[in-house]
Amino acid sequence: MLYAIIASGLATGAIYALIGITYNVMFSASRVMSFTAGQLGMLGGVFGAWFIGRLGIPVLPGTLLTLGACALVGVVTEIVAVRPVLKSLDQHLYVLSTLAFALMLQQFVAIEWSTEPQPFPRLVPFGDALVNQRFWLPVLAALVVIVVLEIMYRRTLIGRAFLAIAEDSFAARALGLPERRLRMLSFAIAGVIGGLAGFAGGGLLLAFFANGPMLSFYGFVPVALGGIGNNRGAIIGGLALGLFQQAASYMVSGLFVSVATFAVFIIMLLVAPQGLFGAPAGRRV
Amino acid sequence: MSVSATPGTATAPSLRAAWPYALLLAAGILLPFTGNDYWGIIATRAAIYWVLVAGLNLVVGFAGQLAIGYVGLLTLGAYTTAVLCARTSIGMVPALAAAGAVGAGFGVLVGLPALRLRTFYFAMGTLGFATIVTQVALAWTDVTGGGVGVPGPVLPAPFDTPWGFYAACLALAALCTWMTANIAASRFGRAFVAIRDAEVAAEVCGIGKPRMFVLVFLFSGATAGIAGGLFADLQTYITPDAFTFDLSVLFFIAILIGGRGSILGPLLGTLLLTALPEVAAPLVAWSTFLYAALLLVIVLLIPGGIASLLDWRNRRPLERDRSIVPRPELLPELLVERHRAPPLAMRDIALSFDGVHAIDGLSLTLHAGEVHGLIGPNGSGKTTTLNVICGFAQPQRGTVTLGEATLPAGAPQSRASSGIARTFQTPRLVGEARVIDNVMIGGTVTGRASFMEAALSLVRHRRDERELVRRAAIALRCVGLEALATVRCDRLQHSELRFLEIARALMLAPDFLLLDEPAAGLSAAEIEHLGRLIRAIRDRGVGVLLVEHHADMIFDVCDRVSVLNLGRELAAGTPAEIRAHREVVSAYLGG
Amino acid sequence: MPLKRRALLAASLGAAVPVVGRAAPEPIRVGWVTALTGASSAPGIGFDRGVHFAVDEINAAGGVHGRPFEVVTRDTQGDPTKAVNASVELISRQKVVAIWGPVNSGEALATTPLVARSRMPSIHPCVIDSLIDPKKYPNAFRLAPANVQWEAAVRHYCLDIVKAKKIAIVGDTTGYGTTATRDSVADFQKAGANVVYHDLIEATKTDVTSDVLRMQDSGAEVVVPWSVTTGLLARLLNVRGARGWNVPFVGHPALGSGEVKKLLEKPAYWEKVYLIGYRSCSYDANGKLPARTQAFVDKLRGKVELVDTSLWWISAAYDAMRLVVEAIEKTGSTEHEAIIGYWNTLKAYPGVYGNYTFTPQEHNGYPTDDVVMSVANSFRDGAYALAPGYT
Repeated sequence: MLYAIIASGLATGAIYALIGITYNVMFSASRVMSFTAGQLGMLGGVFGAWFIGRLGIPVLPGTLLTLGACALVGVVTEIVAVRPVLKSLDQHLYVLSTLAFALMLQQFVAIEWSTEPQPFPRLVPFGDALVNQRFWLPVLAALVVIVVLEIMYRRTLIGRAFLAIAEDSFAARALGLPERRLRMLSFAIAGVIGGLAGFAGGGLLLAFFANGPMLSFYGFVPVALGGIGNNRGAIIGGLALGLFQQAASYMVSGLFVSVATFAVFIIMLLVAPQGLFGAPAGRRV
Repeated sequence: MSVSATPGTATAPSLRAAWPYALLLAAGILLPFTGNDYWGIIATRAAIYWVLVAGLNLVVGFAGQLAIGYVGLLTLGAYTTAVLCARTSIGMVPALAAAGAVGAGFGVLVGLPALRLRTFYFAMGTLGFATIVTQVALAWTDVTGGGVGVPGPVLPAPFDTPWGFYAACLALAALCTWMTANIAASRFGRAFVAIRDAEVAAEVCGIGKPRMFVLVFLFSGATAGIAGGLFADLQTYITPDAFTFDLSVLFFIAILIGGRGSILGPLLGTLLLTALPEVAAPLVAWSTFLYAALLLVIVLLIPGGIASLLDWRNRRPLERDRSIVPRPELLPELLVERHRAPPLAMRDIALSFDGVHAIDGLSLTLHAGEVHGLIGPNGSGKTTTLNVICGFAQPQRGTVTLGEATLPAGAPQSRASSGIARTFQTPRLVGEARVIDNVMIGGTVTGRASFMEAALSLVRHRRDERELVRRAAIALRCVGLEALATVRCDRLQHSELRFLEIARALMLAPDFLLLDEPAAGLSAAEIEHLGRLIRAIRDRGVGVLLVEHHADMIFDVCDRVSVLNLGRELAAGTPAEIRAHREVVSAYLGG
Repeated sequence: MPLKRRALLAASLGAAVPVVGRAAPEPIRVGWVTALTGASSAPGIGFDRGVHFAVDEINAAGGVHGRPFEVVTRDTQGDPTKAVNASVELISRQKVVAIWGPVNSGEALATTPLVARSRMPSIHPCVIDSLIDPKKYPNAFRLAPANVQWEAAVRHYCLDIVKAKKIAIVGDTTGYGTTATRDSVADFQKAGANVVYHDLIEATKTDVTSDVLRMQDSGAEVVVPWSVTTGLLARLLNVRGARGWNVPFVGHPALGSGEVKKLLEKPAYWEKVYLIGYRSCSYDANGKLPARTQAFVDKLRGKVELVDTSLWWISAAYDAMRLVVEAIEKTGSTEHEAIIGYWNTLKAYPGVYGNYTFTPQEHNGYPTDDVVMSVANSFRDGAYALAPGYT
């Protein structure tokens, strides 16, 4: 029993963590929190099921196609819903533009794909001996993403350019960094990570249009817990959330799991608005 | 000499602004005569939604808080009313009142985290609340009936027929429109907008964010709760399924399509969004998609919403070559003769950010009726000094006193009532509000009427407003901006904004006025006008602390000058003494 | 040409446009409120095929008393608010003589009191018990079983045929799931059964291993799921299959949905799954439908697609249309009282889907004995085989 709770807790937690990182990557490049983070996860599942399951494309090219399509959605998000509102960031128009774009994505999938969850194909033909692949795939994906991101940010020139923009985009532009191209690239990377969340987690989430808002919320919790922009915090927060949910649904009726999650979330926010690993607020005047 | 303000056409909400409401109300009153039940129910629904949206509009459109989960409060109100009517013998009217009270209580509970949370976090929090309410409605079967729900309440005769009920809803909607319009045009409405667009300036004007949030969330929670009760009546039966997230999105989008800071815009937005799905029935599958697309288009193309499209007045071109000619001789009307304030003193203040000393043991005394200049190179701690006085920065050591009284650190909203006003290095104003409204924000603490008096436009409120309008008109004349009183503030030039900030500060009739680089970006002629204005203000007994880089102006205007370097006082004295100070000349004035 | 979903939608949209300027005779209009798009639209689409088949047949036979028979369709997307608006519109603007639908209980709860106000004859297939109350809603009739009848059939099968001693009951956290689960637990206990496990699972929960483990640990001999969420049902069946737990699942008709089948990891996981079905729409041991139903299916052939929907949806909708026409033809009136009055006299009226009996005191028209359990993986042309144990 404990084993089952931990396995599915870690797996769903890894999915939430990946969505959290998706938020972070988009935020670092643009200072925008985008409601599309969860929809990218939803699309990862739907594209995967479409390419590999329905069209019968082999797994490897199917994976690349899925992640490519999600990267494209990420770039479109940047062009349509983020770039136009960047100049008036303080009016928080991005909340509306990304909410609108997220709803459009979701409704489009609902109408053109299906309103019922659709099966997601098995990705690897082996590896179910100890634990089913639907449990270890998301965890593996989260590990790969965090390692690749850490290496990129620390070791590569482009990663340092990302960090510079996240630190101070104005100064970065003054230094001659191609801020717009880096931002688009960031949104493409966010698309890949978000898509990967839904793709690696496809065995759990299925290809379902309504996964988006759920992932947007539960993926935001690790961001709030770990502190915005803190990817390692997001991983810890995500796994903690996954385990908490599974444990809660074991201990109380399923009816109260979301109530318990929301309640804990709001209390945590009020106690530590900057997240458990976050930085204090800056000067106001 | 006396200058009387000219209320009416220019400043007070005019009758001309009321005709769209009158037209809508007339259409609403005439609707029953068509005998069309179907449009009756759509109109009833629109009226009920508007009762909620009217209150929410103050939260979203005025106070700028992105509460996207208000369907939760609608649900609470609906269940409170329905359950009370179904399980007790109290009638629907007391039940509605109870729903309003429950809505108000939970409105505050949902809203107050906004004090601590940033926008996106707050939006997510309200969303979470909406989910919790639905889950509780499902789980608490004994009271709510769980998934089967409860029958809706019915208003007593004559409001128990569809048209009778419509009349009740229409009357309530009209009442809500009137009340929110009153609030919007009151010092409370201006304070909400100030919190939204110029939070720091709002605090300096004495606007306490917690108090304002409690008021606005109480009010909007109450309207949402009452709307919920009416919604339950209209639906005749309520289950948790009836309260979808789409409904919440509809409320929210109606406000943003309508435009921030407007009443008419969101009203039209609500009507539009309620009627649209009925007109576009064949597109029902795409309706949510189209809502979202509409929202995106509006955000990208007309961020001001319907209200900005209707705002013909502000599309008229302004005169090109405007010059600001202050009339300091009018100041006595605003700054009437009073006793001299005791000196404002900083004693041994030390403050460091992350180990860097911004101020390091600074003492400074500001006397009434004196212009005190504060100069020094960048980073020498000038603005930080202002922030310490205003209570934004909390020094690690030292106190700020006014006479005998110590001013609390970290409480900037308390300074206005101590008679301290200030301006900012970059003007902090509400771009979307009219110039005169921006000035009136400065007088917020002088109002006496309560929130409800303002909502109901009672005598004390009207007196407050008359006085504020009168004083704001004088303040604008003093700084020379009276011709622009009804223009949207974001259409002004930079130099005009600097004078506007001074006008706002004057509304307080302050004992001390702190000016942070008021001459930056001004032309030579304007600097001269500014100098005259500052001296005239001093002559009315105000103590002015002037942070400036323009050495000429400092020496011309100041009675006393302090020179800061690296957070310490390098020198202090009369302008003549400073000009002769060798260290200052070499370190700062550059010869 | 077989009717396909898109063509059907187009047809229903066409029907929604009011006919203007045509000379007499004025058509007889019936309102049809349903979810044709959105998350819970599968039944609506099935019923809709039956509605249109009936309309075409009636008009081909010369209409009703020489007047054309017309259905005015309103798509609600399953939203109670839209259902309320649509019902009022049908009554006051379209001047329909009767309303068929809505087909989902959440919507029907909202529309029933409202439609009752105008005494509009109303007939629907929604299961929630409280929707039918001849005193409060003398105008509302149900031509499908109520939830108590469903529960009775499930209970009968579990206790008398499977002869299970320990029962596990599980629902999802939607309005229907919570209510049906609670009622079912109470009824099983009243019948003296030992309910060893009952709980609600979030409809969106991605992994239900721990829930199934708990059912297994409780020693349950049969699992009764109350949920319309295909994802949840499939996940439960997948865990049962993966763990090789060999207890039957007996419950909601959604267990037999093609959407569930698609989500199963192995076809074998659909074994020993029994869903609520109807004798009229079930294959007997020899794979044959009852004669009356077979005759109907023959009529449908080539006109209505059956492979992706339920025969009972089509036949129930067809019966509903026939009931309206029958009432008008027999009484010669389109008045509300006349139609309601006629329905109240029906005694074992032979429809395709069942024999309906209504009296002024009882508006639940479907015979309980005709509610049976079917085998989930026996689906063929809209119908299932009778579960083992029935004759």
